[in-house]
Amino acid sequence: MIALQGVRKRFGKVEALRGVSFEVADGQVTGLLGPNGAGKTTALRVVYGVLVPDAGRATVDGIDLAADRVAAQRRLGVLPHAQGLYPRLTAREHVRYFAALHGLLGEGLEARVAEIVAALDMADFADRRADGFSQGQRVKVALARALVHDPRNVVLDEPTNGLDVGATRAVRGLLRKLRDEGRCVLFSSHVMQEVGILCDRVVVIARGEVVAQGSPDELRRSTGKESLEDAFVAAIGSEEGLG
Amino acid sequence: MIAKAGAQPPALRLARTVLAKELRDGLRDRRSLSMALVFPLLGPLVLAGSFSLVSKDVRSAAEDSVKLPVSGRENAPELVAFLAEGGLDPVEPPASPERAVRSGDVDVVLSIPPEYGARLREGRPAPVRLVVDQSRRAAKVTADRVRERLERWGRVTAAQRLVMRGVHPAVIEPLAVEEVDVSTAESRSAILFSVMPYFLVLSIFMGGMSVAIDTTAGERERLSLEPLLANPVPRAALVLGKIGASAFFSLMALTETSIAFTLLPVIAPLEDLGVSFRLDPGMVARLWLLSLPLLLAASALMVVVAARARSFRAAQSTMSFLMLVPAIPGFILAMTPVKEKAWMKITPALGEQLVMVRWLRGELVPVEDALRAMSASLLLAVLLAVVATRLFEGGKLLFEKA
Repeated sequence: MIALQGVRKRFGKVEALRGVSFEVADGQVTGLLGPNGAGKTTALRVVYGVLVPDAGRATVDGIDLAADRVAAQRRLGVLPHAQGLYPRLTAREHVRYFAALHGLLGEGLEARVAEIVAALDMADFADRRADGFSQGQRVKVALARALVHDPRNVVLDEPTNGLDVGATRAVRGLLRKLRDEGRCVLFSSHVMQEVGILCDRVVVIARGEVVAQGSPDELRRSTGKESLEDAFVAAIGSEEGLG
Repeated sequence: MIAKAGAQPPALRLARTVLAKELRDGLRDRRSLSMALVFPLLGPLVLAGSFSLVSKDVRSAAEDSVKLPVSGRENAPELVAFLAEGGLDPVEPPASPERAVRSGDVDVVLSIPPEYGARLREGRPAPVRLVVDQSRRAAKVTADRVRERLERWGRVTAAQRLVMRGVHPAVIEPLAVEEVDVSTAESRSAILFSVMPYFLVLSIFMGGMSVAIDTTAGERERLSLEPLLANPVPRAALVLGKIGASAFFSLMALTETSIAFTLLPVIAPLEDLGVSFRLDPGMVARLWLLSLPLLLAASALMVVVAARARSFRAAQSTMSFLMLVPAIPGFILAMTPVKEKAWMKITPALGEQLVMVRWLRGELVPVEDALRAMSASLLLAVLLAVVATRLFEGGKLLFEKA
């Protein structure tokens, strides 16, 4: 379970988050939906502990990130906004590195690495160096290293960004599988349809504030709109930055 | 279904994990490897090269037989034979001795006038003329040899005359001058080798530089820093691993440079210079050990500087400047010896270089001096590691450009 309470973050003159609060339950896929620049990435960065908020608090399974960042991060699998790889390491070495950083070692580590490489269908490039990987291969490596330690909570920043249709479908399938296993899944997107088909709950964020949240059906009902897209536009009050 | 999280691994194990990854990555990087293994060799090679040049000059003039242009050879066959015995082979003189010497075509010309034989027989000073150019160093060596050989002949002849007159030759030598050269071979060579500490410090910085940049500014630039920071790793462990990787490459460079210096006498003909440079394994081991805390401080400094740099390129240019800073005092010391002050002994890099120079000069250095310099560098290393850890905390590094 992931929760934000009154989180504020300011970068210079820009107030990126103005008191954001929401909860993400286990066994659900929650979509963080908002136009570009709404504060989605900033909110997620606070959740996975690379950004310290100016006010408010973020917790993972009840552990306050401000109090024990490391313990909270141990319960997270993260596909961050930036997904850079090490060009001189192979795909498998990437996964091993992150597994070890999560405390896995020895046979247990190797078993988990083999498992995730098979699950994400990476066998044909697992032992090649990352230099020259396609976008799809890069995302797979990033997903594998995010999930190798079998995290209870999974946070993904625009996981289907730049993927082709096949890869996008694969990622969506993976998110459903993670939910069905009882995990807490939080991902951000600015693509309406994706959120509509995938999410059990939606948190709509605009200009650093949560403007609506609930199931897709609840959103439609509360805004009195037929389609989720119209509901979304009604919620954020403009069509600016929609994808 | 979902595995339970095990115990949090100790920070040192995580630091080792980071170190292992950075080493694997760095050892596959051609730039990092060449910075650690190729460039540090330049110092010893430059020294070996310059020694070879200087010594070739000196040796050929001092030992090998030299061609000596002599005009009027027929006037003094005995003297010419005596010179040839001393390795000065008489050859035909140039048309104009003065011009030939001035232009440097020949080092020296000896001319023996026709009246030489008659004067010698009469027991009056027999004239010989030596044309030299005192301003030319290489020519001076040859001229000195000729002069010395001539004086020797003069003494031998004088002694013979005295004996013929029944006088002991010692009568004309009231003084027995004995020259004691107190400049030990080591102290003479130290003038040349005071640049050696400079090269050792330089190798430390060069060796780890590329890795320090790649693991910090490089990590941010290729967007792998954010995923890394999302891992449950104490920032201190992250920083230790990265400083350690940079230190490992510095260590490779330092070790290689040290070995190259021990091999220097093999490559360059140092004995010919009157320079005995005995860099025995014990001395090398001492220099190496003395450098270790400095090596840690340098690695930590480079990680801090590179982490704060705006970009990979900016880090590179800042670093090439940084590399020179600790070398400046050593360089000045090599040029103009300054009296050591207390603060100098505990200034990292400077303190070590002072001790190194004295060791190389063959002086006895109090152990405390070495330990003091090492402690100062170790303290600096710890402080800089703390600064680096701060930098990695709270996303400052990711989102706030320096």
